[in-house]
Amino acid sequence: MSVLSEMLVNLLRKPFTILYPTEKVPIPDSFRGRVAITDEKCIGCSKCSLVCPPQAITMVANLREVEFKGKVLVRKKKPQVKVFRCIRCGLCQRHCPTGAIIVVPELSRTGTDREVVVT
Amino acid sequence: MTEVIIPIGPQHPALKEPVNFRVVADGEKIVRLELDLSYNHRGIEKAAEQRDFIRVLPLLERVCGICSHSHTTAFAKGIEEIMQLEIPPRAQYIRTIIAELERIHSHLLWLGVAGHEIGFNTLFMWTWRDREAVQDTLEEMSGNRVHYGMNEVGGVRCDLTPAQVRAALARLPLLEERVQKYVGMVNEEETMLLRFRGVGKMTKQEALAYGAVGPTARASGVACDARHEDPYLVYAEIPWEVVTDTHGDVYGRTCVRIGEIQESTKIVRYCLEHLPEGNIRVATPKTAPTGECLSRYEAPRGELVHFIRTNGTDKVERIDIRTPTLANWTSVAMCLTGQNIADIPVIVAAIDPCLSCTSRITVIDDREKKKNAITFDELRERSRARWHAEERS
Amino acid sequence: MDPLLLFIYIFLFPGFLFLFAYALTFEYLDRRIAARMQHRVGPPFFQPFADLIKVLGKEVIDPDGVDRRIFDAAPLIALAAVMTAYLYIPIVGISPLAFEGDLVLVLYLLALPTILLFVLGWLSRNIFSAVGGVRAVTQLFIYEVPFFLALLAPALMAGTWSISGIMVWQQQHLWCLFLQPIGFVVALIGLQAKLERTPFDIPEAETEIVAGPWTELTGRRLALMHLARDASLVCGSALVAALFLGGPQVPWVISPAWLGWIVGFILFLVKTLAVLLILSSIKVATGRIRIDQLNRIGWKYITSAAIVQVAIVLAMNYWWVRA
Repeated sequence: MSVLSEMLVNLLRKPFTILYPTEKVPIPDSFRGRVAITDEKCIGCSKCSLVCPPQAITMVANLREVEFKGKVLVRKKKPQVKVFRCIRCGLCQRHCPTGAIIVVPELSRTGTDREVVVT
Repeated sequence: MTEVIIPIGPQHPALKEPVNFRVVADGEKIVRLELDLSYNHRGIEKAAEQRDFIRVLPLLERVCGICSHSHTTAFAKGIEEIMQLEIPPRAQYIRTIIAELERIHSHLLWLGVAGHEIGFNTLFMWTWRDREAVQDTLEEMSGNRVHYGMNEVGGVRCDLTPAQVRAALARLPLLEERVQKYVGMVNEEETMLLRFRGVGKMTKQEALAYGAVGPTARASGVACDARHEDPYLVYAEIPWEVVTDTHGDVYGRTCVRIGEIQESTKIVRYCLEHLPEGNIRVATPKTAPTGECLSRYEAPRGELVHFIRTNGTDKVERIDIRTPTLANWTSVAMCLTGQNIADIPVIVAAIDPCLSCTSRITVIDDREKKKNAITFDELRERSRARWHAEERS
Repeated sequence: MDPLLLFIYIFLFPGFLFLFAYALTFEYLDRRIAARMQHRVGPPFFQPFADLIKVLGKEVIDPDGVDRRIFDAAPLIALAAVMTAYLYIPIVGISPLAFEGDLVLVLYLLALPTILLFVLGWLSRNIFSAVGGVRAVTQLFIYEVPFFLALLAPALMAGTWSISGIMVWQQQHLWCLFLQPIGFVVALIGLQAKLERTPFDIPEAETEIVAGPWTELTGRRLALMHLARDASLVCGSALVAALFLGGPQVPWVISPAWLGWIVGFILFLVKTLAVLLILSSIKVATGRIRIDQLNRIGWKYITSAAIVQVAIVLAMNYWWVRA
C-alpha cells in the first residue's frame, strides 16, 4: 500500500531528474574538476609531476623570476598538464608548496585531441 | 524438456560485468552450474608494485568503483602498520565517516539492483534516487562522487569543514525516513516476498563451509564482521552492532543490508557529532621498512583482505588483493543448484558481485594445460599492442 | 452500410489509421505514467513513433538456419489478427461489423500473437528464445482460462455473444463493473498477463533470458511485433471498457447523431485511458513473479475467482436478470 501511495504522490510531483544541458547541476565548492595553474606562484619544484599518478604532468623549460616567501628566485621549469590524462585526484594541489596548481570546482570539458595541455 | 545448457554471460543483461556460467537446466530447474571467472584481468596488482606510496593510492581506488574507499583504507592501514605510524583521531573519524557513507550508498545501490533483477524497476529507481543524497554528501566532502581520494598514507587528504558536517547531518533524517520505507516495502510488497523468500537458501554450516563473507554470511547467522573481530579505525570505541539474520535466503540478505544501512547511518551521525579536533595527518617516511602485513577491512560486500609485503623501498614488493566477491563465489554455485532458472539473476546479485575487482588470475592456456604468470612489462606490451590496433582501425 | 463509409470505418477512422496512432499514444502514455510514478521524466511524445520508424529502417538479420518466410510472416499475422479483432470492438457507437458471436472471435484473435511469439521463439534456434517461447505458451494456458471466463460472464448475463449487444444491454441495466466486480479484476489481471507486462513479463524477463522470444527479432519484424503488442494493448483496454464499463454508449439521448458519436468517442477515450492507468499502476507496483508461482496463483486463486464469478452470474440470471 505504501508503494501505491508513493506512486500516486510521485505522479503529481515534479520529476527528480535534472535535465542536464538545460538545467545546471549544482557543483559543490570542494569539487575536484579542471586543473588550473597560477603561473606567477609556481617555483618550478617538480613536486606535482612526481606525485601525479597517471604522469600527466611534465616539466617544461621556462625561465622566470618568481617571488616565494618574500624572496625572489629564478625558476627553470614549469608544469604542463595533459588535460585528458589527468584523473583529477587532487594530489598535485595537496603537495604543491605554493598553491600554484589547483583543481578548481569547474567541469573539465571534453575533447578529441589527446595532447591538449594546460600550462 | 530434456537437459539444456543455458549460457549466462560473459555478456548478459543480468550481469553488469563479464563472468560466464554454464547452467545445466532440466526445464526450469538448475541441475548443475559451471563457473568461469576472470574475463577481465587488469593487471592492477602488478601496476601497484610499480608505484610509490603516494601514487599507488589513486590506482588502488580504481580496483572497484563502488568500494573505492575500502581498498585505499585497507592499503593505507596496512602500510601504516608496517611503518608503525599512529594516525590522528580526527583522520580516523573522517575515514570512518567516508567508509560508512560508502556502505550506505553501496547497499542502496544493491537494493535497487536486486529489485531490477526481479523486474521491480520502481524500487530500482527509488533507491537510486535516494542514493543521490549520499553521493552528494560524499561529493561535498571529498570533491568526487565515486573516487573520493580521501586517504593517504598517514592520514586523510582534506579536512571536513563545519559547513560540510552540518550539511551531511541535515541529509541524514530524510535518508533514515526513506530506509524505514524500504523496510516496510521489503516486508509487505507481495512480489518481492515471493521472489526473495526461500530463494538461494544457505544454512549456517554451509556458509561456514563455503567460506562466505560479509552480508551473505551474516544473513545465514554467521556473525563475522572484520569491524567487530579485528577492530580498526574507530570501530572499537563507538557504539554499533553487527547486523545478522537467520533466514539465510535472499530475503535475509536484504534484511541484513537494510539493517546495515540503518546501523551505518547511526555510525555516521555519531562520528559527525563527535568529530575530534586536531591534525588530519602525520608526517610519513618516504620508505617503508621490510615487513609483511595482512590488512583486513570490512567492505560493503564483505571482508576485503590486502596482503602487503614491503622491502625497504618506497614501493610495495607484493600486494595481493582478495576481494569479498571471490570468497562468495563458491557459495553462489552451491546456492543455485536445485533452484529455478528465473532465480539465477537474483541469487547471483544477492552476493553483490563485483567481478572486475575479483579477476586477478593469471594466463591459463587451456589447450597446452600450462599456467604462467606474466610480468608487468609484458602486460603493458599487450595492452599497447591492442591499443595501437584499435588506433589503426 | 454505405461502402464508402465502411471503407472509412475500416481504414481511417476509427479503423486502422486511428488504431496505429492510438496504439503509439498508448505506449507513450504507458511509459510516461510509469516514469512519473517512478519519479522520472519519461520519454517525449514522439518517442514510440520515432522508435517504430527507426526499427523499421534497420537491417533484418536472419539467424542461422531459420525459416525466413515464417519469421517474416509471424509478425504480420500477429498484427493482422489484432487489427481484425479491433474492428469488432465498439469505438464510436455499435460496431457496423458486429454479429452474434464476435466476442468469441475477438478473444481467439487476441490469443494469436502469444501463439506466434511461441512459434517465433521456438524457431529462432536460440536458447533464450526457446525458453521464452515455452514460458509464453505455459503462461497462456494459465491466464487464458480465467480471462475467457471473466469476459464470457458479461455475455452470459446479457444473453448475447456480441460485444456491441452486451454494451447495449449494460445501457439498459447497469455496468458489468458493478454487477461483476470479481470478473472485472480477473479480466484486468488476465489482460496484464496477456500483454506480458510486469508482474507477468515472465516470457521476456530481461534479466533472465535477455528478451525471450523477441531476442532474434530485428528490423521490421521487431517493429511490427512491437506495433502488434501496442495495438493489442488498445484492443484489450477497449474490450474491457466495452464489456465492463459500458463502452462508448452514451447514457442519455443527444439530438444530432454526430454529436452523440463524438460524446461516445470521448467516453471511449476516457474509459480506455482509465483502464490503461490501472494497468500501468500494476506494472509499476509489482516485480516479476516466477512461472511456477504464476501457475500456483493462477490456478488456485484467479481461476477460482473466475469460476465463482460465473457461478454468481448464473445464479443472478436465474433469480434476477431473467426473472
